[in-house]
Amino acid sequence: MTRRHGPSALLPPLSGLLAGGVLWEIVAHTADAAFLPPLTKVLARLAELTADGKILPSLLSSVINLGLGLAVSLALGLTLGTLMGRYRTVEAALGIYMYALLTAPSLVFAPVFFSLFGPGRTSIVAVVVMYSLFVIVITTASAVRGVPAQLLEMGRVYGAGERHLLFNIVLPAALPMAMAGIRLGVGRAVAGMINGEMFIAVVGLGQILTEAGGSFDSTTVLAVLLVVVTVALVAIGITHWADRRLNGWLPETSRT
Amino acid sequence: MTTAGPAPRSRPPGRIRRLLGTDLPYQLLTLVVVAALWEGYARTHDSILLPTFTETAAATVELLGEGELWRAAWLSNQALVLGFLTAVALGVPAGLLLGRFSTVERYTDVYLSILLVTPMAGIIPLLVMSVGFGLTSRVILVALFSVVMAVTNARAGIRQIDPSLIEMSRTFGASEAQIWRRVLIPGAMPAIMTGVRLALGRAVTGMVVVELLMVSVGYGGLILTYRSHFDAPALYAVVVIVLSEAVLLISAARWIERKLTPWAPSHTSPRSTE
Amino acid sequence: MIEIKNLTKRFPDSRGGTVHALSEVDLTIADDEFVTVLGPSGCGKTTLLRALAGLTGWDEGDILVDGEPVRTPGPERAMVFQDFALLPWADVLDNVAFGLQLRGEARSRRHATARELIELVGLDGFEHRLPGELSGGMQQRVGLARALAVQPRVLLMDEPFGALDEQTRRILQEQLLTIWERRRLTVVFITHSIEEAVLLGDRVVLMSPRPGRIAETVSVDIPRPRSFDLRGLGRTEEFSTLTTHLWERLRTMHPDRAGAHL
Repeated sequence: MTRRHGPSALLPPLSGLLAGGVLWEIVAHTADAAFLPPLTKVLARLAELTADGKILPSLLSSVINLGLGLAVSLALGLTLGTLMGRYRTVEAALGIYMYALLTAPSLVFAPVFFSLFGPGRTSIVAVVVMYSLFVIVITTASAVRGVPAQLLEMGRVYGAGERHLLFNIVLPAALPMAMAGIRLGVGRAVAGMINGEMFIAVVGLGQILTEAGGSFDSTTVLAVLLVVVTVALVAIGITHWADRRLNGWLPETSRT
Repeated sequence: MTTAGPAPRSRPPGRIRRLLGTDLPYQLLTLVVVAALWEGYARTHDSILLPTFTETAAATVELLGEGELWRAAWLSNQALVLGFLTAVALGVPAGLLLGRFSTVERYTDVYLSILLVTPMAGIIPLLVMSVGFGLTSRVILVALFSVVMAVTNARAGIRQIDPSLIEMSRTFGASEAQIWRRVLIPGAMPAIMTGVRLALGRAVTGMVVVELLMVSVGYGGLILTYRSHFDAPALYAVVVIVLSEAVLLISAARWIERKLTPWAPSHTSPRSTE
Repeated sequence: MIEIKNLTKRFPDSRGGTVHALSEVDLTIADDEFVTVLGPSGCGKTTLLRALAGLTGWDEGDILVDGEPVRTPGPERAMVFQDFALLPWADVLDNVAFGLQLRGEARSRRHATARELIELVGLDGFEHRLPGELSGGMQQRVGLARALAVQPRVLLMDEPFGALDEQTRRILQEQLLTIWERRRLTVVFITHSIEEAVLLGDRVVLMSPRPGRIAETVSVDIPRPRSFDLRGLGRTEEFSTLTTHLWERLRTMHPDRAGAHL
């Protein structure tokens, strides 16, 4: 997905960001609107909030929500996706529901989880799972389905059983494409984390957002949003890194 | 020379309709199992917050006869339709231009990625501060939710057009305007339609998010009201209705997409082009 | 008449040097002549054709078509592409009528012309098929009909049959010659196949790589209409002498031979 490499590739986005920051500052100063404080003020507030010890504990809490939700989504999503891709009946039974849930507005489940698990971490983690699970299931299923038939035939010729086929051929061959789903899932999980935290509003960055939004404190809202965007970019960056690592050794194993 | 063109892709994911034909028994089985588990769990736990499947079904039917629901639906869908149309009207042309002029794109790409990962819910407070709790803030939020899909897919649609088609048109003396009209726009059409469909899905999400988190009207308002009344069956019924509307809208969009672009390979999900 | 004078085109290479895609190419092509351009990959033959089409610029020299300098694509030149370049959303009729549509011809008129050409290339009955439903050979016949529809004086063909299988390729070569003999026009035909170059051309222009230049021009004195009984044609002395000669020349410039010291 990275089209250009090296430091020169970073120049346009960085200068674009810089120009945007300057533009923000200028517009905010000239417009002087309550909902758009200047960037410098937002950054100052961010430093203030961090010094007061408000950001870091919430950030940690949010990251735990994100991590737990993603772990559940990955375990469940890869398993379900593999089963759907490999077994016609599982696909027949679940496929249509997975597609429907993928496009459905996931936050609508938040009140349901709230009623089931109460106002706490479990509900937020459940929202994160709702956001990220289905895209992982569906891409994994089509990745498994897309494993070349001759690879499977080769496996059978050499006497591989179903378990061997699955772990030594199907999964490694499906991994690069499944990673695409995981990347999308990570992005959606971050959205789920914030939305879940905003709705349930007991822990995390989302809780600060809801509180600050309720009192129309736009500077704090933007300061927290900067943190949220950073979390999202870091999470996606980590997935990219993992993807490259996995892609690095994959061609060699599929050649054997 | 009678065998036709490229081999069809193996098992494209546009299979919802086909599944309905052949897989119905399995799908019904899933539905029955889920309903039975739900019913059993709810009965054994007997919580005021957790209705049984049958209670939810009854409440859904009842709610569909209530004026209250239809007033909420009207309010929600106003914002949905206006926001979605705004997003398409602005996002598709923007995406087409970004796809054609790659220098602009290189400087703005970072903002699209940020827009893609920023949880839009976070800016709801800012929106409410600037334009109030009215229809406008909901429309803007729905538009913001869905515009990214319209932009990125239109952009990918332009980028994946075979450059030799543009060259071919130039050998026939086509002007830039003619290239847009005859090659770029029709060539990008499948991706544009995919973007429109995905934008619709995001718009529904935006509608739900804004109503649940900040501006309690419409469906979201109904959910929050029933929650405060501890009317769990009605709350679940609204959830069921919102999900049904989402699925119906998206299926309709998928159908229209396939009707309008019959030449498109059925696999046109959003994927980045090299 | 096409006059190519001292045509030179340079590219900067990845190491900061200069590559001569074309170097001092001189070539004059008479009206209604069928010229095939043969050469290994990287010899600049496609660049030459793209320059003729007005799709790419050059650094030195001139190209004149009937005395007029070429800078941009023009109505008197039409091109047939190696990868067909058909509009996947338009049916055969609209694809063939594409050039006329760009010229603003009315729908009924351009469709009438297109139907004639569809018949000429033997695709009647397929007017309303989409390109994706056609075989490669049929797609290229659509490409040929589209080029002929604008009534060009010069037909530029960039390895038009390169993407086709052997049988289809032979059938299309035969059709092309039949059509060319009926409606005379100038053809510049790029190929990397020696047999194809000799079979089709009045003259074969042999190009060599690094820098791209004309190595030799050979007249093909096989009488027309040419026999497509390949055994017959293969046995004529002219054909085998020419192909052997061209092969000898090409062999010495082939990178796998010349650059064997990798």
